[in-house]
Amino acid sequence: MKNNDQRSSLFWLAIGLAIALYSVKYGLGKFSSPGPGFVPFLSGLALAGLALVVFLQQLSKGSREKLKDLWVQKNWPSIMMVMAALVLYTLLFRFLGFLLATFLLTAFLLRVMEPLSWKKVLAGAIGAAIGSYAIFQLWLEAQLPAGFLGF
Amino acid sequence: MNLFFCFIGVLIGTLVGVLPGLGPVAAMSLLLPTTFHVSPVSAIIMLAGIYYGAMYGGSTTSILVNIPGEAASVVTCLDGYQMARKGRAGPALGISAFGSFIGGTLSIIGLMFMAPPLAEMALQFGPPEYFSLMLLGLIILTFLASGSMPKALMMAAFGLFLGLIGMDIMTATPRFTFNLYFLMDGVGLVPVVMGLFGVSEVLLNVEARIKQDIFETKIKGLLPNLKDWRDSAWPIIRGSVIGFFLGILPGGGAVISSFVSYGVEKKCSRHPEKFGTGAIEGVAGPETANNAATGGAFIPLLTLGIPANAVMAMLLGALIIYGMQPGPMLIKQHPDLFWGAVTSMYIGNGMLLVLNLPLIGIWVKILKIPYPVLFPLILLFCLIGVFSLNNNVGEIGLMLFFGGVGYLMKKFNYEAAPLVLALVLGPMMENALRQSLIMSNGSMGIFFTRPISLGIALVVLALLILPLLPWVKKKREVIAEMVEDE
Repeated sequence: MKNNDQRSSLFWLAIGLAIALYSVKYGLGKFSSPGPGFVPFLSGLALAGLALVVFLQQLSKGSREKLKDLWVQKNWPSIMMVMAALVLYTLLFRFLGFLLATFLLTAFLLRVMEPLSWKKVLAGAIGAAIGSYAIFQLWLEAQLPAGFLGF
Repeated sequence: MNLFFCFIGVLIGTLVGVLPGLGPVAAMSLLLPTTFHVSPVSAIIMLAGIYYGAMYGGSTTSILVNIPGEAASVVTCLDGYQMARKGRAGPALGISAFGSFIGGTLSIIGLMFMAPPLAEMALQFGPPEYFSLMLLGLIILTFLASGSMPKALMMAAFGLFLGLIGMDIMTATPRFTFNLYFLMDGVGLVPVVMGLFGVSEVLLNVEARIKQDIFETKIKGLLPNLKDWRDSAWPIIRGSVIGFFLGILPGGGAVISSFVSYGVEKKCSRHPEKFGTGAIEGVAGPETANNAATGGAFIPLLTLGIPANAVMAMLLGALIIYGMQPGPMLIKQHPDLFWGAVTSMYIGNGMLLVLNLPLIGIWVKILKIPYPVLFPLILLFCLIGVFSLNNNVGEIGLMLFFGGVGYLMKKFNYEAAPLVLALVLGPMMENALRQSLIMSNGSMGIFFTRPISLGIALVVLALLILPLLPWVKKKREVIAEMVEDE
C-alpha cells in the first residue's frame, strides 16, 4: 500500500459496499416506487465507487507515505487517555451522578497536558463542577442525574 | 430579552472567532443544546449572532498573531499581520471592524429585499427542483473543498447515509438502527456536529500540544486615518457585493468570499506588489466580504429551506428541531422569526462594532489562557450540553464516537463539512427524489424535462466535469495551498 489515501479509501470502499449490500434487505423497490433501501443503496454505491476512484488515483500520482507518519511527533498517548476518560465518564455518568463524575473528569483532564499543582487541579475541578451545575441545572433547567451518593 | 440573546450570541461569536481551533460551527453546536430551553426566535438570533460575530473575531488573531481565528480570516493574515508588524495593528483592526460592519449591514439590507420575493418564486419549485438544488448545494460545497473532490464527495455520500438512519418516513421501516433505541429517531445533528467539530478539534490540539505565542504590542490609534479610508472605500464596496452574492450560492460562504475578494483587490489595485506587505486593501476587502457572505447565506435558508453551507445546515437542523418548517412558507408562517432575525442582525452588527474595538485587550488576554486549562472546559461543555438535549447518555456516546471519527478524518484529510450538509439534507433529498420518481412513474427524465431542474442539473454536471480540466485544477491547488498554510 503506497500512502494513506489508499489505506483510507479501501476502508471506505468496504463501508460503502457494506451499506449497499445491507440496504438491499430493506427492499429497493422499483424506480416508480422506490423502497426504503433505495437511497441508502445508492449512497453506499456512491461511497464505494468514489473510494475506488481515489484508490486508483493514488496508484498513478500518489506520493509514498507511512501510516505512522501521521502520528510522528504527536502526543498520542494523551489522546488515548482523554478518550478513555471521556468514555468512562459516559459509562459512569448516571451511576456517580453529575457532580461527582464531572469533578473527577475535570481533575483528570487538567493534569493530562501539563502537570498542574494539586491545589490548582482541585480548585479547577470543584469550580468546573459547581459552575457547570449552576449553568446547566439552575439556569438552563436541564435535568442532571444524581448518583448513588444522592447528589 | 431577545436583545440579551443577540448580545450573548455576538459576544460568544467574537470569542470563538478569536480562539483558534474553535470555529462558528463548533460554537453553534456547543450552544445548540442551551438554545432549546428558550424560544426559537431567541435561539436563532443568538446562533446567527455567533456566526457573524465569529467573522469579526477571526480577524483579531489574524492581525495580531498571524493565526487565523478561523478559515474565513486566513486571507486577513496575509496583509493584516504585516500591517501589525509595521506598528499599524490599530488601523488594521479598525478597518477590519468597520468593513465587517458595512459588509454585514449591506448584506442584511440585501437579505431584507431579496428574501420575500425569492420565497414567492420558490413556490414554483416542486420535488424535482428541490432535489436538483440540494444536489447542487452539495456539489458546490465539495467543489470548493480544499482537498480532493472525490474525497469530499465520499463524505457527502456517507453523510447522506447517516441522515437516512432511523425510521423511514414513507414506509415506517427502521433502517440501520441495529436495535439501538436512540437511533430510531435518526442520528442527531447535534451530537454528530459537536463530535466532528468540537471534540475532534480538542483531541487534535491536545495531541499537537498547542502553544500560543503572542507578542505584546501596544495598540494605539485604533482609528484608520483618512488615507486608509480612501484606499479602503472601493475594496469595501466590492467586498460587500462579492460576499453577498457568493454567500447566497449553496456551498459558497465566507471562506470563498474572502479569497475571491483578496484576488479581486489584487487585480484591481494599481500597486499589486504591495499585497503581502501590508496593503490595507488586502484587509478591508476580505473582511468585508466574509461578513457580507453571512447575510447572503441566510437567503437560501430562509426562502427555500436549503442551507448554503455547514453553518446554515446547523441552523436548518435547529429550525426543524424547533418544529418550524423551513421552506418558502417560512416567511409567511413565521414572520416574527424572519423579521426578528433580520432586525437582530442589524443590531448585532452594531453591537459588534462597538464591542470589538475596546474589547480587543480582553480578547488578547483570553488568548493567553493556557490550553491545558482551556480544553477540559470545552470538553465539559460538549459533554453536558449534549446530555441536556434529551437526557440521553447514548447521545454522549454518539458524540464521542463522532469525535473519534472526526479526529481520524482530519488526520486522513477528509472534509467534515460535506458530511454535515449531507446529513441535514439527506432526509429531504430522499423525499424529494422519491416523490419525483413517483410523479414521473419511475423515469429519471423528470429532472431534465422540467426547465428549472434542467438548468440546475446542467450546472451540477458542469461542476463535476470542471475539476478535470487542467487550468481549473491549478486554481484549486493554489487555493488549497493557501488554506493549508494556515
